[in-house]
Amino acid sequence: MPSRSATAGPFNRSWGAYAFLAPALLILFLSLLLPAIATIGMSFTDISFLRPTNWVGLDNYFRLMADGRFQQAIGNTMYYTLGVTFPTMALGLLAAVALNRKFPFRIVFRTIFYLPVLTSLIAAAVVWVYLYEPYSGPVNGLFVSLGLGPQPWLSSPNLAMTALIIMAVWRDFGTAMIIYLAGLQDIPEEIYEAARLDGASKFSILWRITVPMLGSVTFYLMIILIVQSFQVFGAIYVMTGGGPLGSTETIVFQMYQTAFGYTEFGYSAAMSTVLFFVILLFSLVGTKIMRRGEG
Amino acid sequence: MAELELSGVSKTYGAFNALKDVSLEIGDGEFAVFVGPSGCGKSTLLRLIAGLDPVSEGQIAIGGKDVTSRQAGQRPIAMVFQNYALYPHMSVYDNIAFPLQMERRPKDEIRAEVAKAAQIVQLSTRLQDKPSKLSGGQRQRVAIARAIVRKPGIFLMDEPLSNLDAALRMEMRSELTQLHRRLGSTMVYVTHDQLEAMTMADRIVVLNGGKVEQVGPPMELYHNPANLFVAGFIGSPPMNFLAGTVRSAEGATVSVEAARIGVVTLPFSGEHLYAGDSVTLGIRPEALELGAGRQVQFSVVPEAVERLGLHTIVHAGEEGRPFTALFNGDPKLRAGEAINVSVDGASVKVFDADGILRSRRAEV
Ligand SMILES: Nc1ncnc2c1ncn2[C@@H]1O[C@H](COP(=O)(O)OP(=O)(O)O)[C@@H](O)[C@H]1O
Ligand SMILES: [Mg+2]
Repeated sequence: MPSRSATAGPFNRSWGAYAFLAPALLILFLSLLLPAIATIGMSFTDISFLRPTNWVGLDNYFRLMADGRFQQAIGNTMYYTLGVTFPTMALGLLAAVALNRKFPFRIVFRTIFYLPVLTSLIAAAVVWVYLYEPYSGPVNGLFVSLGLGPQPWLSSPNLAMTALIIMAVWRDFGTAMIIYLAGLQDIPEEIYEAARLDGASKFSILWRITVPMLGSVTFYLMIILIVQSFQVFGAIYVMTGGGPLGSTETIVFQMYQTAFGYTEFGYSAAMSTVLFFVILLFSLVGTKIMRRGEG
Repeated sequence: MAELELSGVSKTYGAFNALKDVSLEIGDGEFAVFVGPSGCGKSTLLRLIAGLDPVSEGQIAIGGKDVTSRQAGQRPIAMVFQNYALYPHMSVYDNIAFPLQMERRPKDEIRAEVAKAAQIVQLSTRLQDKPSKLSGGQRQRVAIARAIVRKPGIFLMDEPLSNLDAALRMEMRSELTQLHRRLGSTMVYVTHDQLEAMTMADRIVVLNGGKVEQVGPPMELYHNPANLFVAGFIGSPPMNFLAGTVRSAEGATVSVEAARIGVVTLPFSGEHLYAGDSVTLGIRPEALELGAGRQVQFSVVPEAVERLGLHTIVHAGEEGRPFTALFNGDPKLRAGEAINVSVDGASVKVFDADGILRSRRAEV
């Protein structure tokens, strides 16, 4: 008996493992891989569900390269991504450093800062539409009381994207804070004490000790935020509908419009494929650099 | 002039008294060692001197100036931590240079100071490495170099050798002693290891339960431990204690009846001792000799014999109380076979009912 189990064991065990993994793999395949492959396939056609579908080769991609609207969407997406990612990280870091000390109500503050992350995006967006309301909205109320003129937040092509960025930072910095707080726990107290004894000011400690020691956390966070911002859709859908004058049209929003507004599913699939590979590239480069940092 | 002066220093954490009314003076250039069991408040005391924690009561003066209310970075001290506390993301060079960079010293001056300190700790070739590439001993040296560049009035070291293996610890012990001689600065060194204290200290401060038990040079503590705690803590193997009763205390001798050894007459003036008093006799294992050559004689039955070549340790505990004897060389002893031992009356310590030493020896 022992001899048989010795030879059959490893196979049985891995067979068992696959059996247990099968349901999850099946769901992953059906929900992620299959649609992804289908999308890539569709991007080589002019499928629209309204007329017969033709194979068009790379035509959709050539069209994309010359499409001024798509280029504007890329520009908008980059602006949004940069505008969200770095302020979110900076605010998250400051909040984490401030709340990493022991003081009364610190849990309360953590909860308050994290609450936006937990609210429903649509509910938050509706509230922010009210906040940005030009005549009776609190944001303009604040501006006026500070002696600054009222601003047409969501209805100005110059301001609408910035307004969306502010809201996204408000929503996301709680996530950054939580991740930074976890990173701060890994820095031993003794290192701060050594720095204090070495005569370092609070600012020097933050800049020379804390920030560099959070390097890999910062990098991880940056990749997450970039990938997430690339895919922004919900807030734009609710708050600006891509306007005014296409100033808040991002790649994903344009994909949505192209597919469901203009029923050009093939063309939309090409956009989606481009975005997919850009995000894949970011993730791969990100994990590569992270691995090297750990080594 | 005292370089470091603590007056009535106390520290409480909530209701817990970590340090109780500690007063001490440590002279300029002295190597002082705080020693005591784990949890007795050594690190706490060091942190108060460093300014990492505020005192609850009392004053701290360094170089004659009251620094009680000064922040950590503003006291003329440098500290070496038990876990090194190096900056892991910085090179060895930047670790050592950090305190100077914080003082905004000119770059070439910093370079020269770092090179000098690195040379003292023999790390000149490793300046570009990250601390993670160094061995434990090398990391410890980086921490020491980082302390050296500050040119502090006082070096504080909290169990700096406890993370090193035994051989390296011995080597670093003598290196630190040499470093002290070379720099001539005041050092306050914390350890729970009485061997480190004995070998390195000019003066030892024995702490127990947040209180100073005794302060003195190593040999003073060895020959005249002020009380039972110090007697049991200093010396290895530890001193043997035997419960006894004073028979008579007259003139220049005291007669005591004790477990195991019967009635003995000890040569010291028995002030503060009266017939009928309970006392504890203390006999160092190394004061015992084989045979009946000395004044106080008794026999023990070894239960275990440890032969170390240079000397032999005999364990002969009775009724749960440990008893050890240490003999020179390698005498032929066997567990279970009774042996006669003897000790000089002058080497027997007598502690009163409060544990205070009553048999002081003048000559040390
Ligand atoms: N921050 C603190 N809060 C509460 N108790 C503390 C704190 N720091 C130290 N203690 C207590 O004070 C006592 C002395 O600690 P410490 O000075 O670290 O001892 P050691 O002699 O081992 O270095 C210990 O009982 C410890 O639990
Ligand atoms: Mg300690």
